[in-house]
Amino acid sequence: MKFLGRRLLHSGVILLAISFFAFLLLRSAPGDYFDAMRMNPRVSAETVENLRAQYGMNHSFLVRYADWMGSLAKGDMGISLAYGTPVGPLLWPRARNTLMLTGSAMILSWMLAVPLGVWSAAAKGGWLDRICSLFTSTLLVIPDLLVFLLLLLMAVRTGWLPSGGMTSGNFADLAVWQKAGDLALHFALPALGLAIVSLPLLLRHVRSAMVEVLDSPFIRAARGHGIPRSRILWRFALPAASNPLISLFGLSIATMLSASLIVEVILSWPGLGPLIIQAILSRDLNVVIGVVMLSSVFLIAGNLIADVLLFVSDPRIRVE
Amino acid sequence: MRPIAFSRTAAAVCVLLAAAALSVLAQPAQNASPAQQAIGKRGGTLTVALRSEPKTLNPALATDQSSQDVIYCMNADLIHINRLSQRTEPDLAESWTVSRDGKAYTLHLRRGLRFSDGQPFTADDVVFSFRVYLDDKVGSPQRDLLIIGGKPLSVQKIDSYTVRFVLSQPYAAAERLFDGFPILPRHLLERAYRSGDFSKSWTVSSAPSQLAGMGPFRLAEYVPGQRIVLDRNPYYWKRDGAGQQLPYLDKLVFLFVPSEDAQVIRFLSGDTDVLSRFSSENYSVLKAQAAVKRFHLDDLGPSLEYNFLFFNLNDLRGKNLPQIAEKQSWFRDLPFRQAVSQAIDRTAIVRLVYQGRAAALAAQVTPGNKLWLDPAIQPPVQSIDRARQLLKSAGFSWRSDGSLVDSRGKSVEFSILTSSSNAQRTKIATLIQSDLSALGMNVHVVSLDFGAMVDRLLNSFDYEAAIMGLADGDADPNTEMNVWLSSGGMHIWHLNETGPANPWESDLDHLMNQQLVTLDYAKRRRLYDQVQQIVARQLPIICLASPDVLVGAKDRVGNFSPAILEPYVLWNVDRIYGH
Repeated sequence: MKFLGRRLLHSGVILLAISFFAFLLLRSAPGDYFDAMRMNPRVSAETVENLRAQYGMNHSFLVRYADWMGSLAKGDMGISLAYGTPVGPLLWPRARNTLMLTGSAMILSWMLAVPLGVWSAAAKGGWLDRICSLFTSTLLVIPDLLVFLLLLLMAVRTGWLPSGGMTSGNFADLAVWQKAGDLALHFALPALGLAIVSLPLLLRHVRSAMVEVLDSPFIRAARGHGIPRSRILWRFALPAASNPLISLFGLSIATMLSASLIVEVILSWPGLGPLIIQAILSRDLNVVIGVVMLSSVFLIAGNLIADVLLFVSDPRIRVE
Repeated sequence: MRPIAFSRTAAAVCVLLAAAALSVLAQPAQNASPAQQAIGKRGGTLTVALRSEPKTLNPALATDQSSQDVIYCMNADLIHINRLSQRTEPDLAESWTVSRDGKAYTLHLRRGLRFSDGQPFTADDVVFSFRVYLDDKVGSPQRDLLIIGGKPLSVQKIDSYTVRFVLSQPYAAAERLFDGFPILPRHLLERAYRSGDFSKSWTVSSAPSQLAGMGPFRLAEYVPGQRIVLDRNPYYWKRDGAGQQLPYLDKLVFLFVPSEDAQVIRFLSGDTDVLSRFSSENYSVLKAQAAVKRFHLDDLGPSLEYNFLFFNLNDLRGKNLPQIAEKQSWFRDLPFRQAVSQAIDRTAIVRLVYQGRAAALAAQVTPGNKLWLDPAIQPPVQSIDRARQLLKSAGFSWRSDGSLVDSRGKSVEFSILTSSSNAQRTKIATLIQSDLSALGMNVHVVSLDFGAMVDRLLNSFDYEAAIMGLADGDADPNTEMNVWLSSGGMHIWHLNETGPANPWESDLDHLMNQQLVTLDYAKRRRLYDQVQQIVARQLPIICLASPDVLVGAKDRVGNFSPAILEPYVLWNVDRIYGH
């Protein structure tokens, strides 16, 4: 509990620092939300200045930061200038969609990476290892964007999968099992895309961790004792190789989140991606900070879970 | 007594005749839409993609195109601009008269109409709506259009179905003003307005029961990040030629698809029924599949958008930008601007940037704006020789390596700012860079994020030249007063002027102010022709090209009748139907 308490405290301090620097950086960026309105020939400069004053844009950085902190305490996270509503309610449904997508993509990619990495390490230098190596090298050099576009092209050409969105237009009229099927079909393309782009890194790490463990004396001893190969791999080697993989799990959340922003825009997934891109372009400061903060929370939570798992799985960490 | 009585009668007749004449001027020249469109059948759903989510459903607060598109389908205004004819036609007001001095407009409202929640529509709703639009605390983006001659127009209820608008000065084409001011239901919004919560009303997540409008559709469902669904307004007042109540469609679904390419793909895969705001590259890609996938594409010709190059002519005293200030001696030199304009190959821009789906421009009015284009002004044909002569006459010369230098021996080098979010304008800048290199000018293209670019153009003035585009929702010149008046907030090449910087700017001020109060169209047109001529001659902005409006629709969409005014494909959404 003491360990968890300390980690939570660290996380709180990190989030506070992120909020301060995000605010500072975004405020330093040139232009603001109302500049686009000034480019409208129908709107006078005086009207824009009135709106700026009305929304407190002329206040100092510290006053605006303090206002935002006060609003955070209420769960609002400030007011979106574009939507005219608190940022919190804008974020929650979209964050849920992003988490559902990245969560399922992570499960899929780890489910592929672990067995492939273990088999490829066990058959080091063999045909399976070579195929995996070629596959991961190829995927590593292809930009994420291209992978998503190729999948999209495939979906459009074949018509097997929907080319975007999270549900069909008639979703509300469907029966429960039809809704599940509709959701699964819409999930398939973005989740597969995310799994494919994160797979090479995971697979390579699993493989190298396993190769290292399989060379260790205790595995050789186990082999000498005639323990079956599959039992050695899954019962002894994999748990011993799990430490770096658990750490990687925490880090892979960041990779997954950044990739999901792209896939959400390309495939019209109603997550945080389209929202933050629109907010950045229109300089809707509170929405940008809200998404940054929420992504930071996901990242920190992922690392925290990884730390707890390490704590549970590795007795040495418990002693430290 | 009799002669006096006669002269009073005569005077009354004269007044009536004058009023009638003025009201005829103000009445629509054409009422094209219903007659031209086929009788459709009721039912079905039309699905449309929006580039971004609507930010609000409040007509008095919307600034983004997506919100305006949705609001357009849910609301109605008193007098409407027919997007095809570009002329006004009666809408919620069935007729109107104009006073002799052109300052008072009396609008007669249709009787027996109801909002989409079943509540009756009366003059109280009109008076309330304009009170909201005029309230500076509300901050409506439309408010400035109602400030005429420095004073807000006043609205007065005559009876339950008659409203009078009084302007402080005559205002040309004032009836066009009413398009873009949807009528708000007083019974739903007055409480929020009085309590100061108006800006929190009618957000996208408001319950459908809280919203009501006079348009063909009403809110049914909003799914954050995914779609907004409208269904038929059962109280909509319009009927087709066969007496059938409009709209034909049961539902109108707006999907949020955040990129142009994704919108094209969704259209191709059958998820959406109509498509607009896409590039000429995508037009070519789509064209090849039109027959197989059963849709058709239309090139409506040049839009109202004009893209232009301009130089920084701002007063830079106190800005600490000495390098730009030094270069302003070139930019202020008319032969220099003329030489640049002459060296630009506009046909190459049309051909290479827009694949031929655009028009070269000489001034700010595009060929799409048939009511206001001065056909006598032709786009300049590229002539490097003529450009060189102009530069030579202004004291420029060339080094042995071909680079251009000014009379002080300083190399002519400057940068052109463009927005990175507009690929076409970046391409235009690259073509201009190449054209100007033929004159020995060393031009750099700087592509910046839109927000950063706007900050430089409007606030810091830290730029040398820039390319941008302007497009207005209406063809009438009045909405561009802010651009052409020297005191205008969008007088982009020279902001914050205390008075006209030179005689031709003084002429522009005079002509724009004059056309604003001239009620006769032919006279106004002559005045605005002169404005275009000054722009083409003095080149405060160097107009380049106007892209065509490109649209597409599935073959099954009936009464698809796109126009070059926004919203291009949905302006007649009440008459669109599915085969």
